[in-house]
Amino acid sequence: MKRTHIILIILIAVVIGAMIGAISDSSSYADFDEAYSNPGEEFHVVGKLSEDKEMIYDPMVNPDLFTFWMTDVNGDEHKVVLHKSKPQDFERSEQIVLIGAVQDGDFHANEILMKCPSKYTDGEVQAKQEASI
Amino acid sequence: MEYQGEHLFIGELGNLFVLVAFAFGLLSAVSYFLAEQKADDGWKKTGRIAFWVHAAAVVGMVGTLFAMIFNQYFEYHYVWQHSSSELPLRYIFSCFWEGIEGSFMLWMFWHVIVSAVLMRSIGKWEAPVMSVIASIQAFLTSMLLGVYFFDYKIGSNPFTVLTREHPDFVNLPIFEMPNYLEVLDGRGLNPLLQNYWMTIHPPTLFLGFALVMIPFAYAIAGLWRRDYIEWVKPALSWTFTAIGVLGIGILMGGAWAYEALSFGGFWAWDPVENASLVPWLILVGAGHLMLIQRKKGTSVLTLFLMTTLSFCLIQYSSFLTKSGILGDSSVHSFTDLGMTGQLAISLFFFFGISGGLIIARAKEFPKSEKEDHLWSREFWMFIGSLILFLSAFQIEFSTSFPVINKIFGTNLAQSAERVEYYNKWQLPMAIIIAAIIGFTQFLKYKKTDPKELLKKLSVSLVLAAAITLAFSIAMSITNPLVISLLFTSAFAVTANTDYLIRIVSGKIAHAGSSVAHVGFGLVLLGALISTSQSDTISQNTSLYDVSVLGDDFSNNENILLMKDDTLMMGEYFVSYRGKEKDGLYIHYEVDYMQANTDGELETVFTLYPFVQLNPRMGNVAEPYTKHYIGRDLYTHITYAELEERKNDDDISEHKLQLGDTIFGKNTFIVLDSLNRRPKLDGKGLTTNDLALGASFTLFDVQTNAHRLEPLFVIRDRQYSFSVPDSMPEVGVTISFEGIDPESESFSFKMVESDPKYKEFIVMKAIIFPWINILWLGCILMGIGTALAVYHRIKRT
Repeated sequence: MKRTHIILIILIAVVIGAMIGAISDSSSYADFDEAYSNPGEEFHVVGKLSEDKEMIYDPMVNPDLFTFWMTDVNGDEHKVVLHKSKPQDFERSEQIVLIGAVQDGDFHANEILMKCPSKYTDGEVQAKQEASI
Repeated sequence: MEYQGEHLFIGELGNLFVLVAFAFGLLSAVSYFLAEQKADDGWKKTGRIAFWVHAAAVVGMVGTLFAMIFNQYFEYHYVWQHSSSELPLRYIFSCFWEGIEGSFMLWMFWHVIVSAVLMRSIGKWEAPVMSVIASIQAFLTSMLLGVYFFDYKIGSNPFTVLTREHPDFVNLPIFEMPNYLEVLDGRGLNPLLQNYWMTIHPPTLFLGFALVMIPFAYAIAGLWRRDYIEWVKPALSWTFTAIGVLGIGILMGGAWAYEALSFGGFWAWDPVENASLVPWLILVGAGHLMLIQRKKGTSVLTLFLMTTLSFCLIQYSSFLTKSGILGDSSVHSFTDLGMTGQLAISLFFFFGISGGLIIARAKEFPKSEKEDHLWSREFWMFIGSLILFLSAFQIEFSTSFPVINKIFGTNLAQSAERVEYYNKWQLPMAIIIAAIIGFTQFLKYKKTDPKELLKKLSVSLVLAAAITLAFSIAMSITNPLVISLLFTSAFAVTANTDYLIRIVSGKIAHAGSSVAHVGFGLVLLGALISTSQSDTISQNTSLYDVSVLGDDFSNNENILLMKDDTLMMGEYFVSYRGKEKDGLYIHYEVDYMQANTDGELETVFTLYPFVQLNPRMGNVAEPYTKHYIGRDLYTHITYAELEERKNDDDISEHKLQLGDTIFGKNTFIVLDSLNRRPKLDGKGLTTNDLALGASFTLFDVQTNAHRLEPLFVIRDRQYSFSVPDSMPEVGVTISFEGIDPESESFSFKMVESDPKYKEFIVMKAIIFPWINILWLGCILMGIGTALAVYHRIKRT
């Protein structure tokens, strides 16, 4: 076998390996239902903050612990334990993506992505400073 | 209705420029195409004239948009969206390219400039190369057309979309006023982007992207003309210029993230970052394959693949960032403007042209008769290029999850452990690349004696081992992968330095590649040490034990600082001193202290991390970093109560005689006696002041007794004031307000506050050791590439 062939085989092997590796190391988007059916497994869950439920953040006790309730796209509501400090402006978030797993009945997230409403100033018209005086 | 004060002419002018640029770009592409196919000089002339008209129109539209922003014509939606009347002039460029339309214009503008320079030396390649460039420009201009083709809108035109006609604004009462422009103000540039990096990073990056177009155009021209070898000669210098500029542009993005954004580092493997890195990696591979081909005439197929791929992947990056498909997975992609289909078409076009031509011509490619020798420079340069390809592939595949999901209906998402995941794959590849960079310079083309090679390398190897050992011991590094990369990247640096000294021996003309490779080795070394050995010194010191939740959740990286308390953090003592509001910013003052020789704490430096009250994105914390030569100390706020706490204090007034008692919420306080000679020092009083002290005994919940002595002071026999005394532990402050001689009573004011409440911040502090090696490496890489290109241009 020529060296070129060996190189080609290694190349293809690594390409396939990288694809398999990427997929096997990936997480997946899911709803609470699926996350709760597979405790311990990492999922991305998309939902909205349940504004009527309580949010607890007491940095005096633990600055890296924040609990709140989230409603997923199917309307399921669960308690979320975020192992980070409370994100700035959390109440204004329009959509939340949690990355974490179910443990002991609660959803424990170690990463959170928030979408703030991008349009909330688009639809309003600001007046010039001098005009408002 | 007749609106007053609108500047509709300038928009029509800009729109005219867009239409002219599109029409003449297309005309130029077709004319040059016919010129090449028919070998006709007439068509070539037409193509050239059409291209210059196109170029002038592009410059015209850039100037027009710039003038609109400069003059604050908020009747145009683009100007309204990205600028405001209060925006400082220095950010005017940032406004220009904040939006998709502006960034397309910036890109086209650079294409025109680069092409104008190219035209001077293009010679016999003019027709095919310019045909490719003109069609790229036509595609880009179509993104700005803003016309409807049946029901499908082609492009988004900043010159024709008026604010009052924009769907977001229909029916707003303000537009019922004919003079609405007198009160309308722009939304303004996103405050996060009001940063000098935003002024220099995008143009550098886009210049890099624009330069990649040239080798692509030459490669297509080579395929077109069946001239599979000669096209490389003119393309080579352009390729290395692109490598240098794009590399600097990407690293500028890293520097921006590190200096001004709270990502916690200079590289976060964010999809948008990856999208610009991948074409660069491929381009570096292509550049080195070009060198092989100039010497040996081999690896024709791989070179065509890599050269065309680097440009196509830039189109792909443009698709990823501008179609909105990354929306969920990236923090800084654009939102969808409804151009996804159009972007996809242009992507397919370039992939199709490249792939189709390569497949059609592959049989004709010259083949080398025998394989490269194992110990030859060309063999290892080839291997290096393949590894760059693999590295790029691995990054791009994971970055493309959103695209894969869209096509195959899957639910793939990037794991939360993104950094660890990429490092796992990229570290081994970096180890090999660094090693190849180290020894390949010492290899000759064709054949080298391995024993002789080893002899030449021995000094560098020993030096690299010594550096590795020193760092590993000093920073107690044990991870074998990290140690391996430490060794090979140190070797890349020492070997190339050795080559520079011994072989090049100061001949600047030949120093370029060695300097660039030393730089690259340093970039790897700096990135490795600063990230793998970065130390989050802020730790949760609370009573709550997070480890019961399992190792996955011991996110122990933030520290809570009460105002004026001093806590130990790493080798420092830190204290939060207070905050100051300045416009949109709240600056927090954090003292870093260390014990001096007498054992007293001394402030070593003060950092001012801040929170930006960003009305567009929510509040954004921005870091403040203390730079030392050997390390950086990076600090940012992760949580702070931004609103002033409501005043819950209870204030009560009391008239007391000696022996009377006040019953507070948790206390009772007895007025014991009057002190006619109270201590005056430390209270800003002088011996001329007449002071009367009221001695209280305060009993708290545990019935512990405390002493309080507020003073009533008469100064210069003219006016009186009180010096209150307080007991913060129980939240009581008493001030002595007055004396009533008739009833022999004294009036006091008592303030009771929640003793538990104190202002605080939660912050994160990270030490990045030796990150300056990385920046030094960047500079050397830039200088080295510039030297190499300069030398090559001078020679030809």
